[in-house]
Amino acid sequence: MRKRLRYSLGNRDLPFQVVLVCFGIVTFFPLVLVVITSLKSNTQFYHNFWLPELPFQLGNYSSAFRIIWRYIVNSVLYSGTTICLIAAIASVAGYVFARFRFPFKTVIFLAFITLIMVPGVLTLAPRFVLVRDLGMVNTPLALISVWVSGGLVLSTWLMRSYFESLPQELFDAAYVDGAAEWQVFTYVSVPLARPMIATVAMTTLIGTWNDLIWPLVTITDKSKMPLAQGLMQFSSAYETDWGTLFAGYVISSIPLLCVFAVAMRQFISGLTSGAVKA
Amino acid sequence: MFRSATRSSSHALGISRGPLPLRLWRAKWLYLALLVPVTLLLLFEWLPAFSALYNSLYIWNGGKVHIYVGLEHYERLLSDRTFRVALSNLVGFVIFRVVMQTVLPFFAAEMIINLRSARWSYWWKIIFVFPMVVPTILNYLIWRFIYNPQVGLLNEGLELLGLDAYTHAWLGDPLTAMWALAFVRFPWLPTLQFLIILGGLQTIPHEVHESASIDGAGFWRRLLYIDIPMTRRQITLAMILTMLFMTQRFDLFLVMTDGGPGYSTMVPALQLFQSAFSFLEFGYASAIGVVLFVGMLALTVINLRVSSGAAAD
Repeated sequence: MRKRLRYSLGNRDLPFQVVLVCFGIVTFFPLVLVVITSLKSNTQFYHNFWLPELPFQLGNYSSAFRIIWRYIVNSVLYSGTTICLIAAIASVAGYVFARFRFPFKTVIFLAFITLIMVPGVLTLAPRFVLVRDLGMVNTPLALISVWVSGGLVLSTWLMRSYFESLPQELFDAAYVDGAAEWQVFTYVSVPLARPMIATVAMTTLIGTWNDLIWPLVTITDKSKMPLAQGLMQFSSAYETDWGTLFAGYVISSIPLLCVFAVAMRQFISGLTSGAVKA
Repeated sequence: MFRSATRSSSHALGISRGPLPLRLWRAKWLYLALLVPVTLLLLFEWLPAFSALYNSLYIWNGGKVHIYVGLEHYERLLSDRTFRVALSNLVGFVIFRVVMQTVLPFFAAEMIINLRSARWSYWWKIIFVFPMVVPTILNYLIWRFIYNPQVGLLNEGLELLGLDAYTHAWLGDPLTAMWALAFVRFPWLPTLQFLIILGGLQTIPHEVHESASIDGAGFWRRLLYIDIPMTRRQITLAMILTMLFMTQRFDLFLVMTDGGPGYSTMVPALQLFQSAFSFLEFGYASAIGVVLFVGMLALTVINLRVSSGAAAD
């Protein structure tokens, strides 16, 4: 009896597993082909499309890296700055909205929250004119200022919900111990909110890392381009040098891959909470 | 005053009572704390939004030329052939993507929660989320390679199968270009929608599924009578998200075809982009933006109404 039960349990998963494996293969096939091709010279590629071929052309990687590294560094700097600013500003603003009553609080909060309904396409053109008139075109400031303000909408809301969910006793205890408000914020609230800050950071990272349109209209200098825009340049410069092109593609996927490997859980929760801002 | 959190903190700062000027003064630190974000939002979000509304009534090149034309831009939109084509392209595209990006992740999620092994469920979830590490722009560039007429994966695959007759310049033919774009990223699950639906399915209690199987419900019946109704909220959310993404994101079209060949892959958001940045018609571009904004708002409201109404039944 026990044997039959075990058998049937194992069997039950089988059809689903088969479908999932097939699906997984189809999903990863293009990626695998990109990696295979990145190790080939053009002659090898035209001669044999599908299979890897010796010798591996590791030189593709060094020549791609010589171009891609700058874009990656730029993106890390831009996204990193944006993340730090958003985390700092949104924590403070979220805390203020969650913990205090003051005149015009509702109005100010609405000024944040209604922006969720305003799509990027509506504001794209006038925002460009604004940024141009402020003299920020072709500077990192053009990207960071707009990314920070855009990201604040959702982040503040997330932080506020988190701080509201913390129990009042916690704060009372801190007040009783004679903590000033800023101490309660820095030593009690922010450490507790670390998971939510990680989520905010991840949402911001994914959004800014993949933004193509805004850099496209504001950055013209090749040396200042973030990764998404740089890859577009790179792909048209190396259009027919398939090995180098795909080596560049592989290299540029590595940063997010590392983040994914280190912080998978935050990555996934960051994605899901990003869903709130459409 | 039912929320103790606000009572006690405002008590601590003593700002909940007194005449307005006094309360304003007592809250000065709070306003100071909000000064930076509020300034940023007013400058980079609210100002451009109102500027779009306002300037859609003007002929504007983004600079000195600024002439009031009233609703002329909106009238022009009504008779603009390009806009009409773009709109119908978009509608077809969005409908297709919404169906694909809901059905595909739903079935994948359904397979995954049906596994007995929790460890495998976890790993499959990770595996299907994985393509997310590839930068979005690379999705487009990789699919441009797949559709490449000379050495593309699709054509090579067809030749490998002996179907040479079906090889095609997928993006170069007005008849296939839009379909090619609709299938960009195809077997890859839309990460967000997948996670939302998976999350929904995971909240269905085990007992429900168990009692269903005791009652003799098979996979399909369970799907139809339990899983779909019980995840209606998540499915709606996934659909709305796809709809909003697809309506306003035009980087796909810009990178893959730039609206061509002809206007066969033109969409309104791309037309907006070109009006502003190729033809310097910022007023007209703003009008397109306003129309898109109103359309998206209306669709979201309708969608939410329909789904909440259906849920109430």
